Formats: sequence, structure tokens, C-alpha cells
Amino acid sequence: MNAPPETPPRSAAATPAIDASGIALRTESLSLWYGARQVLADVGLAVPERRITALIGPSGSGKTSLLRCLNRLNDEIGDARVGGRVYVGGTDAYANDTLVHDLRRRVGMVFQKPNPFPLSIHDNVAWGLRLFGLRHRRELDDRVEAALKAVSLWDEVAARLDDSALDLSLGQQQRLVIARALAVEPEILLLDEPASAFDPAATLRFEELLHELARRRTLLLVTHNMQQAARVSDYAAFLHAGRLVEFGDTDSLFTNPRERQTEDFITGRYG
Amino acid sequence: MTPRRDAAGSWLIAGTAAIALAVLLGLLGLLLRAGLAPFWPSPIEEIRLRDGSVLLGEVVDAGTNAIALRTSEFDRIGGAYRRVVPADIVARTRPVDAILLELEDGRRLYARAGAEAPVAEAASPVRLRLQPNALGFFARIGAFAQSLGHFLAAAPVASNLAGGVLPALIGTVVLVLLMSVVAMPLGIATAIFLHERRGVGLRLVRGAINQLAGMPAIVYGVLGLGLFVHGIGAGIDRWFYADRLPVPTFGSGGLLWAALTLALLTLPVVVVSVEEGLARIPASLREGALALGATRDETLWTLLLPAVRPALLTGLVLAIARAAGAVAPLMLVGVVKLAPALPLDGTFPYLHPSQQFMHLGVTIYDAALASPDTIRGVPRAYACAALLVGVVVVLNLSAILLRNRLRDRYRALES
Repeated sequence: MNAPPETPPRSAAATPAIDASGIALRTESLSLWYGARQVLADVGLAVPERRITALIGPSGSGKTSLLRCLNRLNDEIGDARVGGRVYVGGTDAYANDTLVHDLRRRVGMVFQKPNPFPLSIHDNVAWGLRLFGLRHRRELDDRVEAALKAVSLWDEVAARLDDSALDLSLGQQQRLVIARALAVEPEILLLDEPASAFDPAATLRFEELLHELARRRTLLLVTHNMQQAARVSDYAAFLHAGRLVEFGDTDSLFTNPRERQTEDFITGRYG
Repeated sequence: MTPRRDAAGSWLIAGTAAIALAVLLGLLGLLLRAGLAPFWPSPIEEIRLRDGSVLLGEVVDAGTNAIALRTSEFDRIGGAYRRVVPADIVARTRPVDAILLELEDGRRLYARAGAEAPVAEAASPVRLRLQPNALGFFARIGAFAQSLGHFLAAAPVASNLAGGVLPALIGTVVLVLLMSVVAMPLGIATAIFLHERRGVGLRLVRGAINQLAGMPAIVYGVLGLGLFVHGIGAGIDRWFYADRLPVPTFGSGGLLWAALTLALLTLPVVVVSVEEGLARIPASLREGALALGATRDETLWTLLLPAVRPALLTGLVLAIARAAGAVAPLMLVGVVKLAPALPLDGTFPYLHPSQQFMHLGVTIYDAALASPDTIRGVPRAYACAALLVGVVVVLNLSAILLRNRLRDRYRALES
């Protein structure tokens, strides 16, 4: 695990202090409404670069909705309305001249339930690459292999790359869709409870994989599992009822939370 | 629910299924039996009457009060039937040397060997010479296959009383294919539009499409006649074929207008099945593609449409079935009893969209009800019906086979 920062953040939750590494993703007073219902209220979050940041909170606290704001997937929901700002590596995600598909390429996403395409294993990983104009057969194969190796799925599927991805086990499917997201080399990877379908052994391997991935890119991980959040993340943000209650490095947040709500949640008194 | 009720339910289901199956098999059996019978070589009988005259011909109807005999048709086809009362018959034999001569114009002549001289006066070349009474079983099968082949591969003669139905067969197949080429893209586009958008207006459009699905077929015929033939077709003639007027080119019924009319008729079926197929694709698939950086169009073309192909073929199967069942509208927009040329041939531009053409469905109607010779016409109607069923089954089976191959790939999606 990466070394925790020297000084624990002491400022208000909305503007936490971060160690020397840069900020990959920043939201400023981000609010979200689905129709008349407000889902997120005034969320200010700064996600450090090349670290794992865990997003925790009770069900319905807006964790997934927050993730979907960051790659503008909420645009696809007819009555969703977003207020505030989201900056991805310095560019305003909601600016008028931002191309949504460019943004989504930079901010990859892995969903709670694995969603492989009804294509072969190879074509699933190559899908995004082909989309961005990569046609050269050899290079495609190399990139597919690299992506599958990155999620340590290569050894299991190397002999049957042309089989349907839908025939893989749930755990394999989840690693496959991560490989698919990685293949297009996003700067940031949003993971929405990706390990909920795994058994304990697979979960452990998966957490190792997360550490491996975090050496090169920023991960934002939604999880229900407090132990997992404590184990894998460098930073943690606690979301409650659409508000960011507390944000800080994982060790301090779990051992010495500033807010009463956070303490209640991580000690299992509710949620 | 009590167990007794369950048992009653399953008996009911089994009974209904059995009845449905029996009806289907009975229908096919009837069609095949009645449709194939006329191709089987029937014996030639020689009947000696009380007044001393001798008749030679085929018994076409053997009732209890009288028998009907077709004798040599020297003047015209269907013009030499004789009704013979059993009391008048002195002797009835099947001479081995009796010969059947079928002429190119469909007339049948009967003679004894060596007495064929009067037959030569018939002024039409002989198409077939057969000695049916002398044939063994396998030779009969050979003769049966030959006349069946003639039926499938030749043009009709004598206003559809004899000869083959090849033009109608080709007309039917070309019509259905052309209809599919028009209806499928239109239906798919409509279904995508309905699937991607939301709103009150769309609910209205969807309601209208469902209404269209229940519209009687003849209404589409009237629509096609008014809109395509008299509206658009007459307009095309005025602008592009003015030198040929008053002879209409597109301003009369033709293959193109019939195909468009049928496309309108089958459009709702295609729209509904493709839209259902799109609705069955999980939203997570679409979001997965968007999250990778695909635009909506890229998602649609590279992921959703390939995944919806099985539903697309289901729509095609249903469209073909509905199109094959629609005869009434065709009679208004271009199908004729006898067309001088095929809509598809070897001369440029190969497909002739403005040309009138023949159709098996209309041929059935014509043979069964509008024929001057019912003894020939009715079995011919059965034969055409069996052929039409065969065409629909072949078209459907090919689409279903294709769909099943695709479905294997997508089956895990639908679970």
C-alpha cells in the first residue's frame, strides 16, 4: 500500500488537503437532480492522481450517481440535471465545447454487474480500440493481450479468445470488462462496486489488481465493504444523503473520523 | 389452485395442441393430395354405348348416377366433356394401346395406336405423348415427375387452364423479396426512432402502428391504388414518360407498386418485433459502450443492431407470412391473370418494376373461381395453394435457420 501522507487533512470536508501528487479529478459544488428529487448536494471532492480513492456510504447516498456525473453518463437519463463543476485533469467536463465521448474515453468506468458485449473475448477488449480507429491486426492483438494480462485473465482465456465472452464466469467477466476499459488507456477508472460478485479468494486477487492498476492511473472505487475500503484505498470519502460528509486519507478516516456520522457508519451503527 | 384444476388445465392444453396439430397436418395433407393428384397419369378408358358409338377418354368424375368423361378436345380446351349414364354403357375397357397426346396449347387428345391420323389435324404441336394404360408403376412415377416438373417450369397456356405456373412462382418470390428490401430498412428505422425517443407524440405513433397492424389487407390495396398507382405513378408518367401517354408506364399497377403496398402492409409487424428486440437488450450493454467513449450512433450501429439481428429476422418471418396471405390488395395494384412477360428476365435492367406480373395467390383465386373449366381449374387451385405454402415455408425456414444460428450467440443476453 502507498505510504499515507504526512499530515492528516484538517480542513473542511469540501476542500481537503492532499499530498504532493496532483489532483486528477475535482468537483466543485456538484449537485444532481433526477427530476424534482435531489440526489447530490454541493459535493466538492478532489481525487488525487494515481491513488485509490474509496467512496463509501449507505445505500442510496448517491455514490453511483456521483460516479455517473464524472463521466457524464447521467446525460443519458432524460430528466437528470447537473449543477456545479467537474474538472478532469484541468478540463471542465460540463463545458459546452467538451466532447462527451472524448471525456468518457479519458474516464473509464466499470459497472457493478459485469456487462460484457455479446462478442468474442478478443472483440470485447478490442471494441474500444477499434472504435478509436485502430485497425492494424497485429497491434490490436498486442493491445488485447496486454490488457488481459493487466487483469491477469490472459492465462485463463489465451486459448479461447474467439469464444463468446458471455460463457465466462462472473469473476472472469468482471475482469474482462476491466480489461476492456483499460485497453483504451483511461486516465481515471471509476469502479462501481466491482467486487460484489466475487468470492473471498477472488476478492483478494482483485484487490491486488487494484494496487497494480493504481501505479499508473487514478482509481475511484465505490464499495459497500468497509474492510475492503480500509484495505485497498489510500483516500476515502464518506457520502451520506447526497452530501460529502468527510474526506481524508483512509487511515485517519477509519481510525479517527472527525464527524460523528462517519464514525457511526464505519462502526456499523447504521447503513 | 387445487391439483384437480391443474390436471384439467394440462388436459386442455394437450387437447388444444393436438387439435391445432391435427388441423395443420390435415390441411397440408389435403393440399398435397388434391394438389398432386392431377399430375398422376390417369388411365384412358374406352366406353361402348348402347347406341353403338365408342368414346375414348379419361374419367374425370365418377358419380353414382353418371360419369363424366373427357374426350378428345379437337375444338377448344374444356370443350369435350361427356356425361354418360351407367345404363347406356355396354362395355368399359382400358385398352393398352390407348394414347394420350397433350398439345402445346393444353388440349388433350385420345387415340388408339395406329389411328392417330385425325389427331394431326389439331393444328398445334404435340407436347407430350403417353401411353398411360401400358405404364408400369415406376413409369407412372416418371410420368408424374415429368408433368410436375412441367407445372413448375413452364408458362401457363389456355388462360391458366394448363401449362405451368413459373411466372406466378417467380412473381411471388420477386414480390416478397422486393417487399422485404423496402419494408425491413423502413421498419428498422422506425423501430430505432421509437426506441430512442420518448414523449407523448411517440405514444401516438406507436398507437397508430398498432392500428395499422390490424387493418384489413384490402384497405392497403385501395391505398396503394390511390397513392402509388394513381398518385405517384401518374405523376412519374407526366414528368418522365410524357411521350408514351396516354399509355401508362408507372401509372398502372406494377411490381414496384405492389411491393410498396405490401411493404406498408407488413411495416407494423417489422416495427413491433424489432422494437421488442431492442427493448430486450439490457441497458447495461448500451451504457458499457457509452462509457467506453462511443457516441450514441456508434453504439447503435456496432453493438445494438448486431445484437438485435435475431429479432430482425423474426420480423422478416412474420412479414413474409403476412405478405403471402395478402392477395386482395395485389389485385388492385398490379397482379394480373396473365402477364405477357416476367418481371425478372435477362434483358437490361433485368428487374422491371413498372411491369404487371402474376402471383400464386391470385392464380389460386383465378383457377378455383374464374376458370371456364372447373374440372381442370379446381385441382390446379389446390396445386397452386400447395406451391404457395411451399414457397412461404421455404422462405420462412431460411430466415428461421439464420436466426437460430445468430440466437446461439446471443442466448446468454436474453436470459
